Amino acid sequence: MNRNRHLVALGAASIALAAACQFEPTIVELHYSLNEEAIQSNNLLADDKNAQEHLSGALEFLFGTATNPSYVVLPDWRDEEFDPNNWGYYLLSDEEFDALKESNAWTYRVQIAAIEAGDLDAVEEPRYAGDLWARFQSLVADAPDDLDEPFDEDDPEWSYRDELIAVFESYYPNQRTTADLYRQQCFHCHGAEGGGNGSTADFLNPRPRDYRPGTFKFTALKDKAKPRHADLVRILKEGIYTTAMPSFRRFSDAQLNALADYVRLLAIRGETEILMIADFDPDEGMVPELLQENYELVVDRWRAASDSMIEYDGDVPRYDDHDAAERITRGEELYLSEKAANCVKCHGLEGRGDGESVKNNPDDATDDWGDPIKPRDLTRGVFRFGRRPIDIYRRIYAGINGTPMPEHFGMQIIDPETAETRNMTEDDIWDLVFFVRSLSDEKPVVHTETEEHGEASH
Amino acid sequence: MSNAAIARPLGLDPAGTVHVTHDHHELGFLRKYIFSVDHKVIGIQFLFTGLIMLLFGGLMAMAVRWQLAWPWTQMPILGKVLFPETGGVATPEGYTMLFTMHGTLMVFFVIIPLLTGTFGNYLIPLMIGAPDMAFPRLNMMGYWFWWPGIVCILLSFGAQGGGPAAGWTAYPPLSTIEAAAPGSNWGQNWWLLSLTFVGVSSMMGAVNYVTTIVKMRAPGMGFFRMPLSIWGLMIAALLQLFALPVLTAASFMQLFDRVFDAGFFTPPDIIINNFSPEAGATVDSVGNATGGHPLLWQHLFWFYSHPAVYIMVLPAMGFASDIISVHARKPIFGYKPMAYSMAAIAGLGFIVWGHHMFMSGMNPSVGLVFMTATMMIALPSAIKVFNWLGTLWGSRIRLNSAMLFALAFVAMFIIGGLSGIWMASTPPDIYIHDTYIIVAHFHYVVFAGSVMAIFGSLYHWFPKMFGRMMNETLGKIHFFGTFIFTNGVFYMMHQLGLAGLMRRTADPYAYETYAHLQPMNQFISICAFCLLGWQIFFVVNFFGSMIWGKRAPRNPWKATSLEWETPSPPGHGNFDKELAVYHGPYEYGVPGVEADFVPQTQKCEHVSAH
Amino acid sequence: MSQLKHFLFRITVAVLFVLVPILGVYTFVKAPEWRLWFPENVSSYGDEIDGLFHTITWMVGITFVGTEGVLVYLILRFSKKDASKANYTHGSHVLELIWTAIPALLLVFVAFSQMSVWSKIKINLPDGEYTAENPFMEVYGSQFDWRVRYPDADKNFSGADVIESAFDIYVPVDTKIVFRLKSRDVLHSFFVPKFRLKQDAVPGMNIPVWFEAEETGTYDLICAELCGWGHYKMAGKVHVLAQDEFDAWLEGRREALYSNGSED
Repeated sequence: MNRNRHLVALGAASIALAAACQFEPTIVELHYSLNEEAIQSNNLLADDKNAQEHLSGALEFLFGTATNPSYVVLPDWRDEEFDPNNWGYYLLSDEEFDALKESNAWTYRVQIAAIEAGDLDAVEEPRYAGDLWARFQSLVADAPDDLDEPFDEDDPEWSYRDELIAVFESYYPNQRTTADLYRQQCFHCHGAEGGGNGSTADFLNPRPRDYRPGTFKFTALKDKAKPRHADLVRILKEGIYTTAMPSFRRFSDAQLNALADYVRLLAIRGETEILMIADFDPDEGMVPELLQENYELVVDRWRAASDSMIEYDGDVPRYDDHDAAERITRGEELYLSEKAANCVKCHGLEGRGDGESVKNNPDDATDDWGDPIKPRDLTRGVFRFGRRPIDIYRRIYAGINGTPMPEHFGMQIIDPETAETRNMTEDDIWDLVFFVRSLSDEKPVVHTETEEHGEASH
Repeated sequence: MSNAAIARPLGLDPAGTVHVTHDHHELGFLRKYIFSVDHKVIGIQFLFTGLIMLLFGGLMAMAVRWQLAWPWTQMPILGKVLFPETGGVATPEGYTMLFTMHGTLMVFFVIIPLLTGTFGNYLIPLMIGAPDMAFPRLNMMGYWFWWPGIVCILLSFGAQGGGPAAGWTAYPPLSTIEAAAPGSNWGQNWWLLSLTFVGVSSMMGAVNYVTTIVKMRAPGMGFFRMPLSIWGLMIAALLQLFALPVLTAASFMQLFDRVFDAGFFTPPDIIINNFSPEAGATVDSVGNATGGHPLLWQHLFWFYSHPAVYIMVLPAMGFASDIISVHARKPIFGYKPMAYSMAAIAGLGFIVWGHHMFMSGMNPSVGLVFMTATMMIALPSAIKVFNWLGTLWGSRIRLNSAMLFALAFVAMFIIGGLSGIWMASTPPDIYIHDTYIIVAHFHYVVFAGSVMAIFGSLYHWFPKMFGRMMNETLGKIHFFGTFIFTNGVFYMMHQLGLAGLMRRTADPYAYETYAHLQPMNQFISICAFCLLGWQIFFVVNFFGSMIWGKRAPRNPWKATSLEWETPSPPGHGNFDKELAVYHGPYEYGVPGVEADFVPQTQKCEHVSAH
Repeated sequence: MSQLKHFLFRITVAVLFVLVPILGVYTFVKAPEWRLWFPENVSSYGDEIDGLFHTITWMVGITFVGTEGVLVYLILRFSKKDASKANYTHGSHVLELIWTAIPALLLVFVAFSQMSVWSKIKINLPDGEYTAENPFMEVYGSQFDWRVRYPDADKNFSGADVIESAFDIYVPVDTKIVFRLKSRDVLHSFFVPKFRLKQDAVPGMNIPVWFEAEETGTYDLICAELCGWGHYKMAGKVHVLAQDEFDAWLEGRREALYSNGSED
């Protein structure tokens, strides 16, 4: 046998191993692709590859790439001191910022404890937070040995240690890091451009949301307003029960807020794209003014202050209120009556989501995203937006965006009892809420005399 | 019934009679090398197919390791093939498919066929002195029934929704309800069909092995004069015979669940991905039957798959025993305890399946019974290890490639065996169930154990199979790298498991508990890539030696058992001389004899009688 | 020269084999320092599980080092190039008896020493306020979420005042929590590493599980049974609160049920 050959081979192996340990994979730049379905709807553009490339370039100019997204800031906005790139962060109220800091302090408690102990080597790299780590390391590079030295000459109270901790506590991911997080956690369902067309999407029922039309189903708002930041964050935190959208609460509040920002960027990009496609005129090409106009239009829609939140002024009625039983009866009448809420048309006589409209309607009736419409089976007790009374109230009040579920408040109805024509009131909606919940709750009215026999019924 | 009565109708000479290799009738290429009924050709066919499947399974493992080291990044080379639609970034459902198929391929297409198919076919007639298998045509069919299995498993990759992704254990309802996972569409059907074909193939093999061993031994070859390899293969074949029908039945039940909505494993009142089995796919359709129980599958599956673990290790134990005895130039220590302990492992193997199900919701009281039985199965394993050590004591070891791999098998089997005691104990298993400690455990048994034994056996029997010697230098280089990287890959998985890391998790680092485990996983992955890369030495040696290797004599290792009595490679009909067996297979270093070995065919009064 | 080469080769092989137990034990000794060891235990029965694990670890560790050590010794000692013959022996009845009986006794001892802890954790439920019929909460696994349901004031698990939430589970400290584990769709497994608690959630079954957390804090809840493509996403947290904090939290949640939506 030849020992030298053994040694050479072993040496080569150890060198290869050592070299391999230094290895880090690189991320390849990812570009957004165009909304193919929208393009197909405009024949002029569908045949014009050149124009498509212009559109793609224009959108990339406005929104960057999937690995490095960023908004272009229009001159007007500069005057108003509005920068969509810092949208979420600057709109935080003081309380929200404090809550964010608290959440960060908890998420990075190990790192903060290490800084407090003065052991900077023991600070572990947090995952999914590349910008945070870069900032921390650049600070550590100039950190003095004594962390109690002031960070800034002018402010002796604020030590280096405080600054290092603040890096973690006031962390709010930048758009690039958020795009990384999106790519790792959301991309495979929602797709790179938020088209709801990731690799897993085809298999999911219901399909993942397509952000590009800018319509979001579940908000606390009326008038089909754009969702507030809080509405998007809420979905991220709670997930949507009975769908493949899980709760993402394992990420910090800062990360979820930043993800909501990114979803908004994708929605604005998608809406701008759809407008540009619709406005496309082959004689004029991609007009920069039109681009700016559409962009501003979409952003303004999202900027519009949402004072349209649905709140109920009084006390939310409860099952143990004395009139609960009547409310259920009234709600049932509204539910069943064709001239009133007419819920029965879709949700069916027993609330199983099998009304006439479903039975008569072929499967090709679709919602705004082209997915089949499935009225909720109300007997399951599953309410995707939440099961608090106010959540169901909001759904009935404002309807569900992008679906045939209409806004009920103010709807003209014929009162089932008095047969007068009138508009639907908040009270009517509460009656419906009571009835809808009674379909799934086993013992809705707790103070009636039949309570004792409740057990026997199941 | 005599040997002759069985053999004659099949066109065979009764065992033990002289069969001289004159090639009276030239067989065409197709009958000689493709649809051959010669057990040696079939064995080598199994070998090549198995090695190719080993490469496939290994590549899948690499893709899994890439994802675990650098989740959601562009996977080089493999990514382009596996995930073209995302530019090489793994998808979650793709990841589940990868580890499912890695497990399936390795168990059903690599380890079992390599051990029983390759060596079972090649060695059994040679070692017991038979001219061929008892049922040569059945034997050929056994190999060719494996192919539909391979075709089905390959088809499953291309199925709509992708390959099966419910784990190699295919637990329902994930595997039975199409809505539950993308891989639970046609991919899962192909998977089940594939398993059935592989099962039929194994069954044909098993019937053949047992019949051949029972009926076709050379004159004088008593059961207790058979090499331990034959014991291992026979017991493995018996395990197949008794356990496989259960898996086949269970696979059909699952197939019925999937295709005819039979509902054996579907409990009532479930809604998966907004599909309710009772309600059916649409409002109007007739619902499926439900009222089954998911645990039923687990019982049936593990009733086969636990014995399957022993199918994957008993032959390896036998080969290692033979290799160790030959290259240690010393009789095996405690031949009968070795054989009995294999039988004990097999027997106990049938009553321990529940230890896979301690956390499953099975009645926990039953867990205590399974725990005790599982503890007891450690006993014969321990006896075997002690006997191997006893064999080495006072021996004259030749440190060649075959021996190194056999010794590595013993060293690694100790680790795999001992770690089993942790998970056999029910309370610690609460914590370690389905963590990486389990992954470490079964890879130490099946990869570091059985695959090492397979490598050792290849180095040992290569001269017989191909008539040439393998290159020792390359063999040793292959051994060193394989040994180092195998431990590099699998040892630290124990500690990952202790830290709580769950298997089958595509991106564990999103959990706080696991965030700090990434560097260790990167180390493991790099070792895994090196391990695969290192096999180039084996490939070069294996194929190179077939062409350029030194011509092998009949008995290059100076071994005693019957396969070394034939030319290398043996001709059709195997033996070119009269055979009679006078003593056991491990007569090395017999005092009073000049040579340090006494072949089984040589009468010798110095050999202690047994 | 050939002699020297063979000697070096034997040494190399022996070193390679001996590195396995040496590095093996070393990594186990170092593992707590590298945080590749059990996370701290906060449940009332976790210490017993860890204790059993450690006992077994010592036993298998000694066996491991012993057998590997003997193997390496034998390899080194008997791989000399030696023209003489090996010891001619076919075994020893006495030795076989010894190395059958001793491991058998040890294994029986190990098996029996597990039983009381197992029956305490899994077979019997503890005496206390909560029972299988009257559990503290219900936990549902569903693709890919953990859902928890707290009963209303009348201990009903369905009805208007049931509190249901995703991801976060709140429990009081130092209380024997019995809960029912269910699944909505496929198999899941409820795994809290720091509680040393794992139990599969099986659709169609209603499995009572119990634990008692002894320290307040927030702990990872992990799905430990493959439940589909999003298995890795199925995370949760168990928050262990002091009793009064828990009561306040529960009260807050009960009130929030009837929120008028102004704080959303």
